[in-house]
Amino acid sequence: MSEFTRYLGRIASGAASLVSGMEVTIRYMFKPVVTVRYPRLRLDIPEGFRGPVELVTDPETGDHNCSACGTCARVCPSGVISVQGGKKKAAGQDGEGAKAPEDPFVITDSFIIDFSRCSLCGLCVESCPRKALRFSHMYEQCGTSRQVAVVDLVARQKALAAVGCEPAASRPGPQQQAAA
Amino acid sequence: MQGLMQSAAASLSPTVWTMVLGLVLSLGFVQVNALFLVWLERKVAAHIQLRIGPDEVGPFGLLQTLMDGLKLFVKELITPKPASWFLFVISPVLVFAPVLVPFVVLPFGQWLQVSDMPEGMLLIFAFASMTVFAILLGGWSSNNKYALLGAIRSVAQNVAYEIPLLLSAMSVVLMARSMSFQDIVGAQQGVWFVFYQPVAAIIYLIGATAETNRAPFDIPEAESELVAGFHTEYSGMRFALFFLAEYTNMFIVASVATALFFGGWRGPFADGPWWFLLKVYVLIFVVMWVRWTFPRLRFDQLMVFAWKYMIPVALANLLLTALVLKLVA
Amino acid sequence: MTPQAMLDPTHTLSEDTFYLNMGPQHPSTHGVLRLLLRLSGERILECDPVLGYSHRGQEHIAQNKTYLQFLPYPGRMDYLSALMFNHAHCLAVEKAAGIAVPERAEYIRVICAELNRISSHLLWLGAYLMDLGAFTPFLYCFDDREDIMDLLLPVTGSRLTYCYSRFGGVAKDIDETFVTGLRAFIKKLRGRLKDYDKLVNKNVIFINRTRDVGVISADMARAYGLTGPCLRGSGVAYDVRRAEPYSVYPEFAFEIPVRSGGDCLDRYMVRFLEMEQSLRIIEQALDRLPQGPVAPAKPVRVVKVPAGDYHCVYESARGQVGIYLVSDGGKNPYRMKWRVPSFSNLSVLPKLLVNTLVADTIAILGSVDVVMPEIDR
Repeated sequence: MSEFTRYLGRIASGAASLVSGMEVTIRYMFKPVVTVRYPRLRLDIPEGFRGPVELVTDPETGDHNCSACGTCARVCPSGVISVQGGKKKAAGQDGEGAKAPEDPFVITDSFIIDFSRCSLCGLCVESCPRKALRFSHMYEQCGTSRQVAVVDLVARQKALAAVGCEPAASRPGPQQQAAA
Repeated sequence: MQGLMQSAAASLSPTVWTMVLGLVLSLGFVQVNALFLVWLERKVAAHIQLRIGPDEVGPFGLLQTLMDGLKLFVKELITPKPASWFLFVISPVLVFAPVLVPFVVLPFGQWLQVSDMPEGMLLIFAFASMTVFAILLGGWSSNNKYALLGAIRSVAQNVAYEIPLLLSAMSVVLMARSMSFQDIVGAQQGVWFVFYQPVAAIIYLIGATAETNRAPFDIPEAESELVAGFHTEYSGMRFALFFLAEYTNMFIVASVATALFFGGWRGPFADGPWWFLLKVYVLIFVVMWVRWTFPRLRFDQLMVFAWKYMIPVALANLLLTALVLKLVA
Repeated sequence: MTPQAMLDPTHTLSEDTFYLNMGPQHPSTHGVLRLLLRLSGERILECDPVLGYSHRGQEHIAQNKTYLQFLPYPGRMDYLSALMFNHAHCLAVEKAAGIAVPERAEYIRVICAELNRISSHLLWLGAYLMDLGAFTPFLYCFDDREDIMDLLLPVTGSRLTYCYSRFGGVAKDIDETFVTGLRAFIKKLRGRLKDYDKLVNKNVIFINRTRDVGVISADMARAYGLTGPCLRGSGVAYDVRRAEPYSVYPEFAFEIPVRSGGDCLDRYMVRFLEMEQSLRIIEQALDRLPQGPVAPAKPVRVVKVPAGDYHCVYESARGQVGIYLVSDGGKNPYRMKWRVPSFSNLSVLPKLLVNTLVADTIAILGSVDVVMPEIDR
């Protein structure tokens, strides 16, 4: 008989556990959904977000602060950065010299970075002696070939400036996000 | 010639005509119902899981399933090379064909039933158990180990769960003294049978969930173990037919449950098919709710559950019913 | 049985057994594990795990990078506890090179590591339930995990493969928003854990699927070198945080959940209870969070490790991480051997799986909780 009562007890306790589980799911069913309707709505990207690096545009000169010292290229774990710089005599003519009195003659020709191999560790940004690099807030990156990810940041910055893009274009503010 | 046709038509009894009409209407209903049920399933699942679910196509995403169906329609039908071609192709048809027949006897309303056969309930169970043949054939002919395992599981499961299903339905038959759905629903004039037979109702619902291979009894297609079980190799419209059959089967077992235990088309006021459909969809919602709550049973536990718990309890319930009926009558 | 033997046409199979190739693209092998199973019906006679699908030679990479450059790599081993591996690497190098860490930085590291442990356990819990066929807890866990990510994102800058610790400190200080957000999260997660308890832990189906399945005895666990929840589920109260305390762990009061059965349910419960203990540690750390700098005044760029060999152990979400570092005094490590918990934990699998059912494979594999990139490195 005790075996039989245990049998009934197993049925009862099992059923009770199932009912309490169903109580949880039905309660959750009437909770508000957590999904954000991307791409109709976007989340705000917090300040510390590490997107692919970009050159900081100096508000005074409208140009970058890179002096092609190569610290970032040396520290990069994946070796994705290559910086080319040359000596240009006319400091001040292109506004570069004014910001860099200690080495006025070095001008960065190109700052090529391969985003496809970048691990966003942040060592380049931290090691830059002139704070010329920062993280962008871009997070939608796709391309049709690997070459798309290889970008010359200097050329891109020039191109952006040519079409009158604001320096902070890669960091959309909350208003832009809501509009999108 | 025309005369011949007319005489042929006249020689067919009106029953046949209603049956043909009923089947054609059922075919249409099956499609619309499946579209709605898939949408409902996805919405219920989404909201239980704090998601939105289909939302983009049509109002509330209602047309999402239609679009998915269209996509499946234009997809390539892949037949694996080592598959047994004929059986592989025929089994989606075999799984879909028997789900149409039960619509002949489903009592949507007092006047909305194709044909009220005296053995109507038996017909449904007979055809419901045919699905397993198609699943076995489909799984076996795919020549895929996962599909084969799924098919074998399906057969064992269906055999085990049909017994408690029938036993619990028999309790109701004993009370109504008929297998005709009209009689069964008619017998529930005052009180629904679920209040006389709560144990049978629960066993029927559990068995029906297992019979339709739904979670927590979805081991024939257990995706975390067997990839997709018996329909691993099926694609396009063939897969869609399996899918359609599953949702239609769900509707059928819920309809039978409604007729047997929940008073069919009867309601507190204005009896009619709307009550029937409302009850069916509420039952289906419960089945979905269960699916999105519980983990899956293991195969041997499923068998233990059927043979050691459901069948003895169903049998005891049937005997008790017979005894009480004998004493009261 | 080897993969070669399986392809060998002369290899004869008896009538009633067959091979099932599970993975590397199977939905529940968690990444790129491949299991060759010899089955009789659904019963497993033999199991042979095949590894190496995501081998990247990380230990060799370490030899060719400076200590600083290797910083992002450990987080790619066990990507689910990246902060902890990151922390472990920093601790090892700091210990070897004698770099002092400000107390505040160490507290922040512990807070983040414990958050990472919770998020790793939450993901495991959800994925395990999904393996067992319950899809809904998976999304609840991901909802909670999303909160952790939202908290860590402004601080660490990433959502999964964090690279946050630096030699001698952390990359960024935490702010008041983080602290208040974290306190709110702790409160929320405690409520959620109650729901999981009702939805999962007491569920009769779940208990039947996991109880007495894949039993590892304490001796067996020691013999195979299991660590972490797998060892503690077998009744051995070994946790590196207690056995060989590192960082600021000695300052916190917390318990080590131990269960004696050694089956899947016990491993599950150990992880489940560990989440609560991690919350306790975080609460204490937040209460006592010291003020001060989080990094040395002059960032450590070039690390000078005196010649010699060093060893550092760490308790990750999956068990004991051991770093054996050999230095010849140069800029790069001469050798950096990583002892990862998942590898040892997986090694017990072929023995556990014999004479179980296919469905149990999933339950056992999930309860061992392996992360393949960690094993393959």
